Amino acid sequence: MSKGQIGISSLIFLAVYIVQESIISQFRLPGGGFSILLIFALSWAIMSEHQTAALIGFSAGFLMDLSQNTSGPFGQWTLIMLLASYAISYLGYGDDNFFGGAPGVVFSIVSGNLLVELMFLVSAPLLGVPVGSVSQILFTLFGTSVWTLFLTPIVLPIFAKLYKTFFQSGSLK
Amino acid sequence: MSKGGQSRTRLLLVILIVTSLFLVTLDLRGVKLLDSLKQGMQSVVSPFQRTANSALSPVKGFFSDISLIGRSGSQIEKLEKENAALKLELLERQDADVQIDQLKNILDLAGTAGYKIVNSKVISQGSYQSFAQTVTIGSGSNAGIAQNMTVLSEYGIAGIVKEVYPNSALIQLASDPAFRIGVRIVNSQQIGFLTGRGERFAALQLLDNSTDINEGDILMSRGSIANRPFVPGIPVGYITAVDNSPGTIAQSATVRYYTDFSKLSVLAVVVGGPSSNPVDALVPQKPQPIPTPTVTVFVTPTPTPSN
Repeated sequence: MSKGQIGISSLIFLAVYIVQESIISQFRLPGGGFSILLIFALSWAIMSEHQTAALIGFSAGFLMDLSQNTSGPFGQWTLIMLLASYAISYLGYGDDNFFGGAPGVVFSIVSGNLLVELMFLVSAPLLGVPVGSVSQILFTLFGTSVWTLFLTPIVLPIFAKLYKTFFQSGSLK
Repeated sequence: MSKGGQSRTRLLLVILIVTSLFLVTLDLRGVKLLDSLKQGMQSVVSPFQRTANSALSPVKGFFSDISLIGRSGSQIEKLEKENAALKLELLERQDADVQIDQLKNILDLAGTAGYKIVNSKVISQGSYQSFAQTVTIGSGSNAGIAQNMTVLSEYGIAGIVKEVYPNSALIQLASDPAFRIGVRIVNSQQIGFLTGRGERFAALQLLDNSTDINEGDILMSRGSIANRPFVPGIPVGYITAVDNSPGTIAQSATVRYYTDFSKLSVLAVVVGGPSSNPVDALVPQKPQPIPTPTVTVFVTPTPTPSN
């Protein structure tokens, strides 16, 4: 990654973060809603090499930790997003990738979203973060997966175009 | 990928994992290394939240009405536009009316108990990712709000102030799984602890196992030392189910909060506690049954005509 790419992608991440924190968070959607930053990070990670995906996950997680709505210790989301982005890139990047075609990518992002939430749930008791009742957890997991499944096909082309513009055109290298 | 590339990726991954674990460890040990960065970020985001809150308030009406814009200027279209504008105004008015109603009820509640409060609009709902229940209000330390102050809704307890920024504050709602409050039951005066469960229902655990609790019993806040985090005498909720399992160490029950956490638009932060404990002054009225009007009809039999 060149310095230009890092700078531009940082600005894009910041813009998506502000959209999430100021616009998406205005709505209390049924089932918990969705995180546009999470979808964005996972969709970029699946299109990237492992090294870049790890950096994308780290940056997205760091921003999520900076959000005031986040419970748990600082760094928990950074670690979770780093591992999830690396894992999704490991399975999804390259010609012999695990998820072929657009439906596969959508499926992988929905699975990635679920994986991230499950990783949070597993790590939460270890770090002393309360997560609520089982029924509420299951409801949230189901709700967020449905929202992600609904939203990903809509935003994926935009995110993919952005990625291609800054990472595959070579203009910033 | 080449061998060199693979080892570089592994090295980077290890460095990033170690950095994350380092951040987690520092935070758990109480070293708030990035607190100022977090505060700075909130200061950046909060004007956007305020703007988005104002802009998106009548969003449904806006999206339905915007389709009317851009048509040619015939009389019907002119009237349609006027109608759309009036609809939008009405929606904004309805939104304002809801906020005024909530504010009036909050002022009534605070006035009865003698709490000094700061009112504020909710400018952002919390995110679901961490299974936390929070909202952000549009007033902060500049308005006299500090950490660990009680937050009221129009019906009673809403939560506590978790984080404060100059012009905004993060409220941990009473439904948050990490929320704990000391409560007492009205009438019997039994005391216990209430814990959030991530929804409108909470878990109550009493300290005394020998006494009886019943469905419908009302819970009030017990209050804390120097009124922080909780002022005394705030309506919390009522018992909906009692757990009578044999062999339990402490008696437990399920409680429904008075506050509907999905409809919060105005909240009040208690910045000054009451001069005396309001005790049961704020106990909510039980709903009165509305008498069904009965109508008695007297029928006078018509005399049968005789032959």
